[in-house]
Amino acid sequence: MGFLNPWFLGGLLAVGLPVWLHLLKRHKTDPQPFPSLMFFEHREQSSVQHRRLDYILLFILRMLMLVLLALLFASPYINRLTPKGAGKKLVVVAVDRSFSMRTKEGASTRLDDAKAEGLNVLSKLSPGQPAQVVALADTLQAMTQQTSDPGELRGAVSAIKESDARASFGELARYLRTLSESTKTPLDVHLISDLQKSAMPAFTDARLDQDTDLTFHPIGKVQPNWAVETVIAPQHIYDPKRARISATITGFSAPAATRTVTLLMNGKTIQSKSINVPENGRGSAEFAGLDQASYGFNRCEIRIDSADSLAADDRYMFSVERTDPKKVLFVDDGRRPQAQEYFRAALNATPDSAFQLEALRPDVAATSDLSKYAVVVLNDVAPLPAGLEQSLQKYVSGGGSLLESIGPASVALPRAPILDEAIDGTQYASREGERFFSVSDLDTGHDVMKSVERFDGVKIYLAANVGAKNSRVLARLSNGTPLVLERKVGEGKVLAFTSTFDNIQNDLPVRNAWVPFVQKSVAYLGGSGSGEPPANLSVGEYVELRTGNEKGAQAEVQDPDGQRVLSLEEAAQARNFELTREGFYEVRTAGGKRSLVAAHANRKESDLAVIPQETLDLWKGTGSSGPVNASGQGTGGEGNTTPWSLSPFILLLLLGVALAESVVADRYLRPQAQPQETKAA
Amino acid sequence: MLQRFLDPAVLAGISGLDLVAKTVVDGFISGLHRSPDFGFSQEFAEYRSYNPGDDLRHVDWNVFARSEKMFLKRYRGETNCQVSVLLDASRSMKYGSRGMEKMEYAKFLAASICYLAHLQRDAAGLIVFDSEVRQFVPPSTRQGQIMRLLHAIDSAQTGAETVLERPFAHLVDYLRRRGVVVAISDFWEDPETVIKTVGPLRSRGNELILFHLLDPQEIQPKLKGPMLLEDLETGAKMEVSPDYAHHDYKGKMTAHLEDLKSRAAGANIDYFLVDTSRPLDEALRQYLAIRAGRL
Repeated sequence: MGFLNPWFLGGLLAVGLPVWLHLLKRHKTDPQPFPSLMFFEHREQSSVQHRRLDYILLFILRMLMLVLLALLFASPYINRLTPKGAGKKLVVVAVDRSFSMRTKEGASTRLDDAKAEGLNVLSKLSPGQPAQVVALADTLQAMTQQTSDPGELRGAVSAIKESDARASFGELARYLRTLSESTKTPLDVHLISDLQKSAMPAFTDARLDQDTDLTFHPIGKVQPNWAVETVIAPQHIYDPKRARISATITGFSAPAATRTVTLLMNGKTIQSKSINVPENGRGSAEFAGLDQASYGFNRCEIRIDSADSLAADDRYMFSVERTDPKKVLFVDDGRRPQAQEYFRAALNATPDSAFQLEALRPDVAATSDLSKYAVVVLNDVAPLPAGLEQSLQKYVSGGGSLLESIGPASVALPRAPILDEAIDGTQYASREGERFFSVSDLDTGHDVMKSVERFDGVKIYLAANVGAKNSRVLARLSNGTPLVLERKVGEGKVLAFTSTFDNIQNDLPVRNAWVPFVQKSVAYLGGSGSGEPPANLSVGEYVELRTGNEKGAQAEVQDPDGQRVLSLEEAAQARNFELTREGFYEVRTAGGKRSLVAAHANRKESDLAVIPQETLDLWKGTGSSGPVNASGQGTGGEGNTTPWSLSPFILLLLLGVALAESVVADRYLRPQAQPQETKAA
Repeated sequence: MLQRFLDPAVLAGISGLDLVAKTVVDGFISGLHRSPDFGFSQEFAEYRSYNPGDDLRHVDWNVFARSEKMFLKRYRGETNCQVSVLLDASRSMKYGSRGMEKMEYAKFLAASICYLAHLQRDAAGLIVFDSEVRQFVPPSTRQGQIMRLLHAIDSAQTGAETVLERPFAHLVDYLRRRGVVVAISDFWEDPETVIKTVGPLRSRGNELILFHLLDPQEIQPKLKGPMLLEDLETGAKMEVSPDYAHHDYKGKMTAHLEDLKSRAAGANIDYFLVDTSRPLDEALRQYLAIRAGRL
């Protein structure tokens, strides 16, 4: 017998408390005054004897309570000898069906071999032995419940199908811990897998319970494997001639080789290239000019010539959408000609820009249909010609976006156009006694401000003093003047820059922050921001179907076979959808946005390197270390001494004693039914 | 509403014994109790035939002039009764279980009786005693008598133990004129001794009223457990059990009260048990009933 927290036994000193209460304090009785004892009789002996008997019982109960309480906190336990294997174990046959199990070993695949090994293990079970079959990938699938029926078990093994997901031994360990805890039965686990190194999690996640015996059944051997590891492709193509796609080919445990890389689009071969892949290294191929991309979604694929036993990772699918670039209207009155050049240069800085700049004078813009533009840019135009302000107001209220520069010309206006914030003169740095202002406060959580690197080194010489009563300030100068403001107007947005877009009033256009600022601003306003969900994902990842605002709207997903995969209830309620296999999924979100999502197997599965034997031994060692025969019976004769806590019994006893103490104490110590008390005046 | 002002707990909150007495009496009697006796007031009552020996000053000469018969004119008015209040100030009167001592209750009762007597134009007096006579205010109807009485009552302090024999022996000397004697005490004595001691007052033609003041806890003690009790008068301590207090004590107390009551009735003494938890009007009603019967 021992104690987990022996220092709590010090609480036994508290036993002295009832000793004091019962044996010492009892005799200190204050006499109660009474007018006359004429009619009382001296009965001291009988009353004291009566009380002593009562209090001795209460005393014993209170002492017992304290002792039990101290013992409870000390957590006593006894060591019990539990005969190992005294009962039957539960045999768990875990068959790996991850993507790497598609690897061919001769005429069959690794999964076929694993299933054959699984049947072999089952054939060695003694009659009546309970067992369970599970299939392992990124999640664990129980193929059967615990059963002794050999036919059911064998059928379950045969029914296991290959998966495109990656293996996770952490999931297996978690399941085994849960199973051991719930069944209270020793487990005999047979893991039939290619034991990929990449499937092994951190050791804390792989921990097994003590009565779990793990037996490995390795399948296959290390083979050289080449795979298309990654493909970098734009999600949208605006100018097919300028679009570029690069692919990385990796050799896992492979010698140096020359591989032919082919780009296919909608089933047609577009281009092929030969690249050299060094030993255990990577080679890359780049494809430029996708003239054959058709408008809309294109199913693209990078493929290499198959020269290994895992052919499934020799291709990599991705989707590309071809669309026209959106138009951006730059309203310029010609007073700041450099501004337009700087802005255009920044917008076209990427090879395949999503936006196309179109410049108009204010009087022409006033008569134009603004609804065909994704974004309108006002380059410090003031005063606005008649009709343009009304057009802009209508355009923004209807969902359009405006980016305006508020420079010296606009300062003449009492309020900023459309933004509708007061303009109170300008801030000249030289007038303030400084050479220039810098940006001191930045809302980096905003999409526009994410890549501007805090406007490092940008000098602002002049800024309009624009109020921010109804606007959100995204950037502020060192003297507190707002530099970038945003305001929602109706359904649309207005972004204001309180200086100019040329390098006269500031040097932003010649700084690094200029290009990301312009591109992010226009992308944010034009609806091509970073909030767009990715179209190329790994198997096991999720596609978002609704954001929560589209109540009752139906989402739709078609799998690579063209089948609808969502039930009616899921279509109306599901927030996301898990990609379970490779291929192209056509997705329509509840918000009505359509996309073509390409799913590819996780490339960690392409590395067929095996877990070292020492690691496997360590993993096995976290469970029971005794040898186990294949029939699932323990070797017997051995025993484990396991600590057996006595706390529950002490707790029950304590509750009983507390109850008894309450009854006894209530019987003798409670006030009389009528609370009138004898009291001296 | 008035009943509420006769509650001892309410009266205890009133400062000034004169105000307490006034509150009690005015609350108890709305309008002065009219004396059934005849006196010197101006309110005519009846005519009576003249008998030899009657005071000629009371003859109605106008009637004699008309009828040549002599009639005496009689009026309603105050009597010339002498009321003596004997207030026990022994240590046992210091007891009280409901926030008010018996002594305080006794003072209220004595003051109320004195005030009532004053309103009736009776000559009221006071004797405060324990083992000795501590204060003595002779009965009088003089101006300022009521204030003297109230002051004496107010200044009365509990002192020694109750020994009825000694003070009552002296009281006989003080009470030379017949009247009403009101004794307010807890009478922690043998009933025979009590009656034997107070009996001589009755024999002199006095109406004797015994107000036996007891706290509810004295009549029926409720102990929450075995406890040590200390006698307030003698200082003796005794361990008592609740069972005894509930049963044996109650029987003895009831017998004691019955004995005292029957002995008092035998001696033609009016006896009234006053529970200090009850309003004062019951005691006052008893006093007035006896006062009326005596005259």
